[in-house]
Amino acid sequence: MSLSRSPSPVPGGGWASPGLNISASGRSSPTRGYSGSSGTPVMWESARLKAGYPSFSTQNPSFLTRHMRRISSSLSRFSAVNPHTDKEKPARGRWSIQRVPLVGRLRGMMGRLGKKMKIRLLILLLLLLSIIVFYQTPLIYHWRRTSWLGGGQKFVIILAANVGGGVTEWKGAREWAIERDSVRNKKKYVDRWGYELEVVDMSTKKRYAHEWRESWEKVDFIRTSLRKYPKAEWIWWLDLNTFIMEPSYSLQSHIFDRLERHVYRDINEYNPLNISHPLTESYLDAESQSPIGDGNANSVNLILPQDCSGFNLGSFFVHRSAWTDRLLDVWWDPVSYEQKHMEWEHKEQDALEQLYISQPWIRKHTAFLPQRMINSFPPGACSENGNDTRIHYDQRDRDFLVNMAGCEWGRDCWGEMYNYRELSYYLNRMLWERFKEDFVAVIWYKLTGQKVKL
Amino acid sequence: MHFAYPPRKTSNPPPYLPRSSNLPRFRRSRLQLIALAGLAFITFIYLVTRVSHGHGHGAYSQHRPSGKPPVVLVTVLDEVKYNKAYIDAVKENRIQYAERHGYQTFFPKVGDYDLKNAPASWTTVVAMRHALTKFPDCNYVWHLDQNSFVMNPRLKIEDHVMKSSRLEKLMIKDHPVVPPDSIIKTFSHLKGQDVDFVLTQDKEGLSSGSYILRNGDWAKFFLETWFDPLYRSYNFQKAETHALEHIVQWHPTILAKLALVDQRTINSYSKASKGAEYQDGDIAIRFVDCQAQNPIACEVESQKFAQKWRTAFKNS
Repeated sequence: MSLSRSPSPVPGGGWASPGLNISASGRSSPTRGYSGSSGTPVMWESARLKAGYPSFSTQNPSFLTRHMRRISSSLSRFSAVNPHTDKEKPARGRWSIQRVPLVGRLRGMMGRLGKKMKIRLLILLLLLLSIIVFYQTPLIYHWRRTSWLGGGQKFVIILAANVGGGVTEWKGAREWAIERDSVRNKKKYVDRWGYELEVVDMSTKKRYAHEWRESWEKVDFIRTSLRKYPKAEWIWWLDLNTFIMEPSYSLQSHIFDRLERHVYRDINEYNPLNISHPLTESYLDAESQSPIGDGNANSVNLILPQDCSGFNLGSFFVHRSAWTDRLLDVWWDPVSYEQKHMEWEHKEQDALEQLYISQPWIRKHTAFLPQRMINSFPPGACSENGNDTRIHYDQRDRDFLVNMAGCEWGRDCWGEMYNYRELSYYLNRMLWERFKEDFVAVIWYKLTGQKVKL
Repeated sequence: MHFAYPPRKTSNPPPYLPRSSNLPRFRRSRLQLIALAGLAFITFIYLVTRVSHGHGHGAYSQHRPSGKPPVVLVTVLDEVKYNKAYIDAVKENRIQYAERHGYQTFFPKVGDYDLKNAPASWTTVVAMRHALTKFPDCNYVWHLDQNSFVMNPRLKIEDHVMKSSRLEKLMIKDHPVVPPDSIIKTFSHLKGQDVDFVLTQDKEGLSSGSYILRNGDWAKFFLETWFDPLYRSYNFQKAETHALEHIVQWHPTILAKLALVDQRTINSYSKASKGAEYQDGDIAIRFVDCQAQNPIACEVESQKFAQKWRTAFKNS
């Protein structure tokens, strides 16, 4: 083979002569600096390409043209023509690369990579590592909990368990199952987002011996929880017959990051109780007469939904504040209770309505959430006027929480709980579960006629 | 084999490399640096905003009164039952006292507010609430019953009573709120700055004829709670006074802001039959006995002290 001129030395020290027979190239050993590689002299051929920019290029070569050598040189090679390997280890097979130990092979690959590529790989590796560290270890849990990062510690969920237990009736298997499912659902939710969960025992005890204060424990439990969790800012009260349908919604993203957009403070927006609002008494200041208080989201201390018949305390939020202390303090009052307990069917709920109606200071700091944001009803509740888009659960909208309110009065609590549990699972399936259930199981059913649960 | 190798470089290279781009400062390495710095900056901004997003709206803080006027003197006048001359004397007494210290007065009348069939004495409670509305920047509101005079014009409410250090000396700690034997007692560890409500006891219990409130959210909460329609409709024997005794004993958030002081600090009586008797130098005197009898009795009784406060005001 003739050359128009002698080849010049290239970085890496090789003798660039692609057309020449290798054994005639004048070099008989692999280049230093690539000593970790497999040891075939052909290697420095590709190393030459990697060591710097190619010495020439046609205009804008395609990907394959650019990288063909690189790719092909990393493949295992038929080494029949290679005299060196045969000389060193004549016993080995003809595919030499298989015999090189893994570490050496990796080293060789690394050696063949350019500096830039190494850095890129390192960054990729770091990224991968940090993703694994962040998402596969408790780190994410602690991140979400910490008050100045995720802020999970600012939220406490109080779950009222064991309602009416202890005195009124025995708990049957269904009641236990409801309680188990409900608690597990909340537990998973708080574990995911780093909130606190406080399961409280609502069983009727003779706690208030000389009063008629039964079923007012709500107030006391909220107060205890505020003391128990000093970092808590918001307390979320949940009745037992509730199910978080979308555990992937965090409270922050669902409500609190944009509180001012989600809540409405002017009750006229939805006013099933026909409360006249705002107050117009002349002795009140402008803020008390305003329909929206001071209009600033940070003055909201109580957030509750309204159902078809007024306030609903099955799922509501209170904010730690001096205001809340006052509310919890005056919520139960013997004089009010003595006059009203015959009318107040829902005790603390009616008392709160009464306070809202008569006390300007309560109105100023109360806001309402559209019911379906935290308290969707199943079709059985509030059903007098048929389905109401403001009240009833709709799976197409992926409502956050279902409250099976009033299911103990003639409806099937466990049945509803079970259905919503399954629906929540169905809606939140991952790809793998879909593959198993919508594909494998279906095929299996077609083939064998048996339904399987995978 | 043409073009198997690239053409040679020129034999006489240019003395320096030609500029590769129009912006010579931004070489590749610099660009990388800038990109990295930009990325770091964006990350920083993201972290900062998401943190502040969680805390979002800063903490709520109530309106801080600027102290103009420092004190508002509230007296509910009953122009129907009482003689106009007497009412005018009462008004003049308050106005002169207020002018001396830059205070304001507020004289609502019985019947100004709709009490929903509750006894007329409830007017004082809602009048106090009205005063907070009318004077949002006052520091203190002093309710002084109509049948009374300010006797010592030199004493200022904010120094004589409401100053923290003074209040800590004055307040009666760990004392049954409603004498003689209520199990609810005033707080024993209360700081002067935490007190929002100063009142006195006479021989019958809490006295709502003369008390001082510190302007703020708590005062509004307290007055509105006190004025609750369910208390008004309850037929307390002594209307708002008994309602006050009720809420003070049942609601610790109210008790926690309350300081009992010696009766003569703000609430001396003209006769010792119902409470501590007035002595010279006390800030105010109240004619309590006469209310039960008839309006004329009060006017007569006040005559004795009318001259006294006028001379006291003149001399000081």
